[in-house]
Amino acid sequence: MAVESPPVLERPVDVPEARPEWVERFVGQLLALLASLAIAIVLGSVLIVAYGENPLQVYSSIIDGSLGSVDGFGYVLSIATPLIFSALAVCVCFKGGMFNIGVEGQYLVAMVTASWAALELDFLPGPLLVVAILIAAMLGGMAWAAIPGILKVKTGAHEVVTTIMLNLVAVSLLAWAINFPLKFTVRPEGQNVDLRTDLFSQKGLIGDIGQFFGVTPGAHLSWLLFVAIAAAIVVWFLLRRTRLGYEARAVGSSPGSARSGGVLIGSIQLRLFLISGALAGLVGMQQILADKGYLGQAYQTQLGFTGIAVAFLGQNNPIGIIFAAILWGILSRGEVSLQIGSEVPREFIIILQSILILTVVIVYQIAKRRLAARQLQRAGAAGALEDSASPGESAGPRGPESAAAEAFEPADDTGN
Amino acid sequence: MPFTDIAVAIQISLIYFTIIYLTGLGGLFSERSGIVNIGLEGLMVIGTVTGAFGARFFTDTLELGLPWGPVLGLLFGALCGAVFAGVHAVATISFRVDHIVSGVVINLAAIGVARFLSQMFFDGQSTQSDPGGPHLTEIDIPGLSSIGGGVGRAFQNLSPIVFVAALMVIPVWYVLNRTRWGLRLRSCGENPEATRSLGVSVPLYRYQGVMLSGAFAGMSGAFLASEIIGNWREGQTLGLGFISLAALILSNWNPIRLMFFAWLFGFTVAIPLRLDEAPVINLLPPQFINMIPYFVTIVAIAGFVGRVRPPAAAGKAYEGGGGT
Repeated sequence: MAVESPPVLERPVDVPEARPEWVERFVGQLLALLASLAIAIVLGSVLIVAYGENPLQVYSSIIDGSLGSVDGFGYVLSIATPLIFSALAVCVCFKGGMFNIGVEGQYLVAMVTASWAALELDFLPGPLLVVAILIAAMLGGMAWAAIPGILKVKTGAHEVVTTIMLNLVAVSLLAWAINFPLKFTVRPEGQNVDLRTDLFSQKGLIGDIGQFFGVTPGAHLSWLLFVAIAAAIVVWFLLRRTRLGYEARAVGSSPGSARSGGVLIGSIQLRLFLISGALAGLVGMQQILADKGYLGQAYQTQLGFTGIAVAFLGQNNPIGIIFAAILWGILSRGEVSLQIGSEVPREFIIILQSILILTVVIVYQIAKRRLAARQLQRAGAAGALEDSASPGESAGPRGPESAAAEAFEPADDTGN
Repeated sequence: MPFTDIAVAIQISLIYFTIIYLTGLGGLFSERSGIVNIGLEGLMVIGTVTGAFGARFFTDTLELGLPWGPVLGLLFGALCGAVFAGVHAVATISFRVDHIVSGVVINLAAIGVARFLSQMFFDGQSTQSDPGGPHLTEIDIPGLSSIGGGVGRAFQNLSPIVFVAALMVIPVWYVLNRTRWGLRLRSCGENPEATRSLGVSVPLYRYQGVMLSGAFAGMSGAFLASEIIGNWREGQTLGLGFISLAALILSNWNPIRLMFFAWLFGFTVAIPLRLDEAPVINLLPPQFINMIPYFVTIVAIAGFVGRVRPPAAAGKAYEGGGGT
């Protein structure tokens, strides 16, 4: 027996004492989120003070406007609905180590295909028409997402560049659609007519649920919220409990080992892009089916990009994304009360959101490294000895997080 | 189709060449040092809002007059771009956040920061400033501008910054290839471990590379807002930061080849602006003509990406030299 054996034997004894890994991970994620929130609030306070206002008053007016009334919370949930779809779309690709920055373009194209279905399939009975519209939206999103997916798999073109370009193409495509094929046939009344489609028939629209909870119809809270939550659960199941999800995470965290393990990387990536596109397709449904009832020039943009922020905030966890979207909704809704309640400009909210995202990304990274370091420490006795001999060097090539795409997913071997 | 249209399209392409080339050079410094920077678009956005403000502030408020006001405005845009790029540097170099994640966040945050700054700079207007800001006097290229038959039109009334950008290739090439600093910067992007073993601080060089990328992208944005458009408007960068990135990839991270690709992409941007009446193109609906630059970028990226070689260590987290 070697002289070093006593410390070697001591180490495994530590392991049972440690908390279960998922608890540690959950607590770690929660603490990281709270820490980033705290940092963002403190930095925001500095700005508020610079404006000569009282931070407590400003923050309480944000909370008051969003959580202080039933109507306010109705607005928050209504803002959160499309963001859940959007963030889920980002998350699905991210798990496979890819960035779908093209949610923005995918939901624009989906709004066009959905509007086409709403106008052309008008003969279908009510519920069937809604289903047909939603399917058309998902197919539209999928088709637009298939382009960067295929280009990535076949040519290696980076999806970040191609999806951004396709976003810009989608803007023109939507403009063309409402200028030519889908342009209104019945001219809307009024002097300044916006370019838009005809009104969809009432049976194709998505019903308001706000009335059941005493929320004003102005919030446009619709049962799409439940679809969004269901989608989050489906995505969670898909990523955690299916073969595709397992392989996707393998590709995302270590493409090399996935390939040697017999995973067809290209096929996984393409499928993830298609699923992501289908989810992205639903992003625009809140605005055209629950709010407007037509597709017009003045559509809401930036939902795809905000989805990226929400996905980061929810740490790319489908369930976390629901809460992140609500948090984002609280801040966005706070813009309105902020404008009424104080001298601080409403752009302050955007700054607060930007600071939050920046701190979240950095704090999660630190938390992840610490977690990984702890796991490494616990991982093996022999390895631990080597590590202590050269702490600086050892972290490099063997570092558990060397694969870039793993960024938010701590080394994970539970749940399967 | 009138010949002058082609000449004017070339003139526009030279203007967009300037924007794409300056931003592309920014990406070059960053990626050559090993840090992928897809935040170029966001850095340009910061440059547009601060540059438009700077041009007005130095020219009118400080009454510095024409040559100096706009020049200081451009430099102010560059400075603010560099400062904002510092966030990307801190995240990717000191905290080893994934480069793409950080770049995406930079782009997202830039929109909010720009609105906030605009609100402060331009009396509560959050998405645009008053048009007609000060800019440098346009000049003609001697010789080329006097060619007859309408061709000369292509080389008239150009901002002096167009020449500055084109001449920038000389110092950039020299610094990267003929100085110790350039050699070290490039080696940080190729093999950081070996670079570190020579006693060079990899994080230090990478910080410099990323900050420089912010300065170039910021100046490019300032040029767009104050020299070309005349005011700041939200969304005026129109994906040019990403087009620059595409040009950079096609150029194989080489400042001389980047000139050609920057001009090529600049020309595709000019097509919807001026050549929408040209034969073949005029058969398309106007919305489809607007898509041309983006389609060309996608096709170019898809067709060439396998044939170029990025800096070996670009995009990879570097764990050594932890003393930062």
